[in-house]
Amino acid sequence: MSVSRIALGAFLLSLATPAFAADDIIIGAIYPLTGNGAQVGLDAKAAYEVEADIINGTHPKIPMLMGEGGGLKNLGGAHIKLVFADSQGDPQKARAEAERLITQEHVVAIVGSYTSATAATISQVTDRYEIPYMSADNSSPSLNQRGLKWFFRTSPHDEMFSAAMFGFFKDIGAKTGKPVKSVALFYEDSIFGTDSSNVQRKLAGAAGLTVAADIKYRANSPSLSSEAQRLKAADADVILPSSYTSDALSIVRSMNEIAYKPKAIVAQAAGFQESGFLTGAGPLAEGILSRSSFAGDAIKARPAIVPVQELFKAKQNKSLNDNTSREITALQILADAINRSGTGKPADIRTALIATDVKGIDTIMPWVGVKFDETGQNIEGTPVIQQVKDGTYVTVWPFDVATTDAVWMK
Amino acid sequence: MTAELILQTLLSGLLMGLIYALVAAGLSLIFGLMDVVNFAHGELLMVAMFATLVLHNLLGLDPLLLLPIVAVLLFGVGMAIYRLLIARALSVTFNTGMVQIFVTFGLAIFIRGAAQFFFGGEFRSINNSWLANKTVALAGIYIPLPQLAASVVCLLAFALLLAISKTEFGRALEATREDREAVGLIGIDRDRIFAIGWGMGAAAVGVAGVMLANFYYISPQVGANFALIAYVTVALGGFGSLGGALIAGIVIGEVEALSALVLEPSLKQVGMFAIYLAVLMFRPRGLFGRL
Repeated sequence: MSVSRIALGAFLLSLATPAFAADDIIIGAIYPLTGNGAQVGLDAKAAYEVEADIINGTHPKIPMLMGEGGGLKNLGGAHIKLVFADSQGDPQKARAEAERLITQEHVVAIVGSYTSATAATISQVTDRYEIPYMSADNSSPSLNQRGLKWFFRTSPHDEMFSAAMFGFFKDIGAKTGKPVKSVALFYEDSIFGTDSSNVQRKLAGAAGLTVAADIKYRANSPSLSSEAQRLKAADADVILPSSYTSDALSIVRSMNEIAYKPKAIVAQAAGFQESGFLTGAGPLAEGILSRSSFAGDAIKARPAIVPVQELFKAKQNKSLNDNTSREITALQILADAINRSGTGKPADIRTALIATDVKGIDTIMPWVGVKFDETGQNIEGTPVIQQVKDGTYVTVWPFDVATTDAVWMK
Repeated sequence: MTAELILQTLLSGLLMGLIYALVAAGLSLIFGLMDVVNFAHGELLMVAMFATLVLHNLLGLDPLLLLPIVAVLLFGVGMAIYRLLIARALSVTFNTGMVQIFVTFGLAIFIRGAAQFFFGGEFRSINNSWLANKTVALAGIYIPLPQLAASVVCLLAFALLLAISKTEFGRALEATREDREAVGLIGIDRDRIFAIGWGMGAAAVGVAGVMLANFYYISPQVGANFALIAYVTVALGGFGSLGGALIAGIVIGEVEALSALVLEPSLKQVGMFAIYLAVLMFRPRGLFGRL
């Protein structure tokens, strides 16, 4: 091929690929887009695209922060442009993708990443290259305790979530006269499950509850029947599972197979909040409780939920859940900080993130607000407890934001 | 630890072990016949599960009624894989081993990708089948009906496979396995035997897939959960031995269930691999291997 033909080819290619406007702000997003977590990743992609569209677009004004559209005002109306990368749920692939996004796609920040194991490697890379990592949905408490300077997390972590669960136990016990005396820990064997169970073990001890079973199981096992039998033998007042979707489905079925109906299940969200779990488990999911950072039914307290929900449903044909709502909020908070930075440079974005002080009413979350401590953790992300009723989660605690009463130990 | 708990665990192990055995039977058959390890075996299981799901939603038929349809479908898939890919890979004259590994490995990735493309990554389940989520109690032991049905079907499938091996076709299969060059001289069409062997192997895993779909989630990755165990089962039972696959499947099911009961469940595969390593050291051809 002659040089001129190569040049012509390059020229045609440049016509075919839309050039980014000079002032576009490029943000990377790393998720499992293939593999066992693929559906979560694809839903996350849709959530970020909806939020970017809200920030950039010409929708009717949505009553929340960055909801007026028209891009980033302080940067001359610059648009948010997202670049997605596939971690396959593998920490090493996540690390490589983070490096690629930074060095080749020139992103100014990265959002991610569903599994805590991938967040651990991504946030090491972002710290080394000095760009912000915004953790939208990773819930391991250890992530912000590693002295990283560029790590920010809008979501509550499992320590805060578990504290909420034990707060719920105390309140519901006082209200119904059926207190929790024993718990069974049931958790998968990666960073999410082990971190979550460590916190729960500590909190159970502090609350004077018996840990009747402490079961660390192998993720994606073909069979969880023996594990279900151990849970049955322990028969604790409350089972506290920390599981992704596949194992959540397996364990509720395995318990049903041996005719074991636990008095109460209070899940560390994750798989239990996925629509695949709710439809797959069907009647077996009824009555299961789960912590959540999102209260989709709290539309009176958070007026932005309805219009955002409509946009998401139109795109992905399902409702917002615990994960997708947190992803939308993470990008919203990040975009606000980029706007306030005035330059779009990573160092200025970091300064703006540190100064973040957003009220809960300006988001779709039931939180008090968003304000980061020195480790980058949002200290105002207050979780809720939800329960499956007729196939969907409804909020039952804290009692002041609850939309219905919990069915407790029936 | 009560007697009931132990009995219940033994039962769960047996029921799961028979499923492992049936998944492994197809793999063993193909390997025994032509020394090709099918790395796409788990994906064939997944294809069968999705086929069950789609036909169930489309025709409204119970998975049990779909059993023959999916088995025939998978038989066709197996034959097609042999004719289109494996026959060509076998005729390669350089790096034969590598080509055979990569052709089925690549096929596995392709099938998984295609499943995700067409069905998405969502976990699906069949909740309205006759047996779904049903359990009967017998003297304090609970027997989940979908697993019980799967075990019965598994034993029937093994009986059928053994019966086939006693027929003239079965003897042709055996002869081809023993000496694939010589059979041509006595008028056996080697290619046809291999194609049917692949068809039978795929149909066996297809039957396992239908029965699994009754009580297990369906997703593009689901095959991987069972594939590793299938390879261990085949190696433990002895390559090419059907009876070996049956015994090894049950052994692995029981070892897994019992180790999850007494050890930390996250270590439950340790017992299974320990047995595998022991067999590898002291009896490399497997418990019932004839090679």
